[in-house]
Amino acid sequence: MAQQELIIQRYNPDTDESYEESFNVDVQPGQTVLDSLNAIKWEQDGTLSFRMSCRHAICGSCAMKVNGQSMLSCQTQVDAAAERGDPITVGPQGNQNVIKDLVVDVEKFLHQFERAETWLEPYEDQEPPEREYRQKVEEFDHWSHASTCIHCGACYSDCTVAAVDENFLGPAALAKAYRFVMDSRDAKREERLQFLSEEQGGIWDCTRCYMCVQACPKDVLPMDAIMELRTLAIEAGHVNNHGVRHHKGFMSGVRKRGRLDEMMLPVQSVGIGRLLTGNLAAHKEMMDYTPGAIRLLKSRKLLTIAQRHGANAEGREQIERIFEEVEAEKHHHDVDAEAFGAEFETAIGGH
Amino acid sequence: MSKYAFWPGCVAQGAAPELYTSTLAVAEHLGMDLVELEAAACTGAGIISDGEPYLQDVLNARTMAMSEQMDLPLMDICSTCVGVHRLAAEKFRDVDYRIRINHHLAPEGLEYRGTVDPRHLLWILLEDVGIDKINSMVKRPLEELNLGPFYGCYLVRPERTLEFDTHPTRRDSLEQLIEVLGATSITYDGMTKCCGFPILTMNKQNSLTMAGTHLDEAQSKGADALVTPCPLCHLNLDAQQPDAAKVIDRNLNLPILHVPQLLGLAMGLEPETLGLTRHVVDTNRLLNKIGA
Repeated sequence: MAQQELIIQRYNPDTDESYEESFNVDVQPGQTVLDSLNAIKWEQDGTLSFRMSCRHAICGSCAMKVNGQSMLSCQTQVDAAAERGDPITVGPQGNQNVIKDLVVDVEKFLHQFERAETWLEPYEDQEPPEREYRQKVEEFDHWSHASTCIHCGACYSDCTVAAVDENFLGPAALAKAYRFVMDSRDAKREERLQFLSEEQGGIWDCTRCYMCVQACPKDVLPMDAIMELRTLAIEAGHVNNHGVRHHKGFMSGVRKRGRLDEMMLPVQSVGIGRLLTGNLAAHKEMMDYTPGAIRLLKSRKLLTIAQRHGANAEGREQIERIFEEVEAEKHHHDVDAEAFGAEFETAIGGH
Repeated sequence: MSKYAFWPGCVAQGAAPELYTSTLAVAEHLGMDLVELEAAACTGAGIISDGEPYLQDVLNARTMAMSEQMDLPLMDICSTCVGVHRLAAEKFRDVDYRIRINHHLAPEGLEYRGTVDPRHLLWILLEDVGIDKINSMVKRPLEELNLGPFYGCYLVRPERTLEFDTHPTRRDSLEQLIEVLGATSITYDGMTKCCGFPILTMNKQNSLTMAGTHLDEAQSKGADALVTPCPLCHLNLDAQQPDAAKVIDRNLNLPILHVPQLLGLAMGLEPETLGLTRHVVDTNRLLNKIGA
C-alpha cells in the first residue's frame, strides 16, 4: 500500500491561528481525497473539520481547494491529484470566510441566489395546469447544462471577480438566472434581463477568465451562460451600459479596419453620446483614462493612426461584406420569427 | 525552414508594437518563416461574441481557412487570440455549423475544412523548435533573473480546449521556457489568474485591483520581472501599473516582458531591437542585471 502526504491548510477559530499541517495516509487504488481526509479524521486527528455527505458528487458539500483549484474532494482521486508523487495540498474554498479548517461560511455565496431571485416566477394570469408545468424537450436541451448545478460553490471559490468584489453575483447565481431566463414557464424574463444588465455585479462585470468553467464538477458552463445572457440582454434592448458600449465600439473598429481600435475604444465605452450631452460622470471617466493614454504615448507604445496596421484593403472589403451578410441574415431571421409569431397567434385564436 | 501562417493580432500592431517587432526578430534568428495573414480580421476576443457570436465565428473560420489554404500551421502570439481561435475550431467540428459558416467564406474562394490546430508561439517553441535547440542558442544566460510567469487566462483554460491531456508540456510551458533560458521561475497564486484587462472599461476598480494584486504578490516573492504570452495582460500589467499601484496602495516597479523579448534577450539580441525601450515600466534595471 502506497503512502501519500497531504498538506492541509488549517484554521483554529478559538485561537485565530492559521497553519499548514502535514499528514501521511495509506492510499489504495481509487481512493479519493475525501476518503483520505476521513482517514485522517478517524485515525489521526479527530479535530480536523470539513463538510461532506453523499460521497457521490451529488450533494455538493465537499468542494474545497485541492492543489490550489476548487473541486469536489469526493470526485478527486489521490492518484490523479498527486502528480509525480508530490504532496497534495488541501485548503478551504476561496472568496469566503473560513469558519474552521476546510469549512467556509457559505452565506455570501447563497445570498447571491436570493439577489438574483433564482426561482420560478409563474405567469399569474394563467390557471395552473392540472398536471405539471411543461417545458419543450428541445428548449430544455439548449439550457439543461445550467440546471445541473449542485451549489457546491467551486466556481464562486475560484472566481477572479468575486476575489476583488463582494458585490459580484458570481458564476453560479448568474448561471441559475440564465436557466430561468431561458425557461418558457417563467414570467419574469424581461425583468431578469434588465436586472442582470443594470445591477452592479451583474453580467457585464465578468472577466471571461474561464475559472468557473474549469472548476465546475457538473459542466454547468457558468461563463457560457453569462455570455449568452449578454447576447439576450442586448437583443432585448438593455444597451445603456459600459459593457454594451464596449461591445459596439469594438465591433465598429473591427468593421472599419478589420482590427481592434484601442485609441477609440475607451471613448466609445464611456459613450460618445454621454460625452456630447455633457454627462459629468462620463467626462470624469474620460479624465481617468488620460494619464494612461499619456503614458502609452510617452513610451512610444501607441502608434499614430498612419503607422498602424489594419487588415489590408482586400481583407477590409471582405470583412465589411461578412458584417453585411450576417446582419442581413439576422434581420431575415427576425422577420421569419415575427411572421411565425403572427401565424401562431392567428392559429391559436389571438391569445 | 519551418513555415507558419502568422496571425499577429491587433494589440501587437497597436498598443504593444514591441511584441510584433520582437516576434519577427526572434523568428528570423530561429529560422522560422512567418507568412503574415494580412487580410485576416480580429478574433473578436470574446467581445464581438458578447452580442454577435455567429459573426465572431465567421471571422475566425475565415482566418483558419486562410491558414488551411496555404497548408501552413497557424501561429498566434496572443493568449486571447489562441484561446478564441481554439474555442472556434472546437465549434467547427460540427459539420452542419461549418457548412453554414462556409457560405460566408465562399465568395472569396475560401472554405474551412476543420483541420487547423491554432497554437501560440510559446507552444511552437516547445513543440516544434524544441528545448534542446533553444538551449543551444542561448548566448546570454539569464541566471541572475527571477521571473514570474503570467499566462493569460486563455492559455490555461479551459483545459479541454487546450488539449493539456494529450500535450502535457503545455501545462507549464512558460516555466519551461524561463528555466531553459537559465532564469529561475517563481511560483505565485496570480500567475494563472485574470489580469483584469477585459473589464478595464467596465469596472476600472475591479480591473486594477486584479492587476495590482498579482503584481504585488509576484514582486513580494522576489520577481525581477513578469513574462507574459498575452499582450492584453501586458497592457494591464505594464501600461496600467502606475494606476494599479495607486488602487492597491503599494509601490510597484515590475517590468513586464513579452515571450519573444525574453527569448531574444537570452539569444543575445539587442534590447532596442526587441522594443524593450517601449515599456511604461522601465526595463533598465533588469537589463543591467544581465549585462544587456
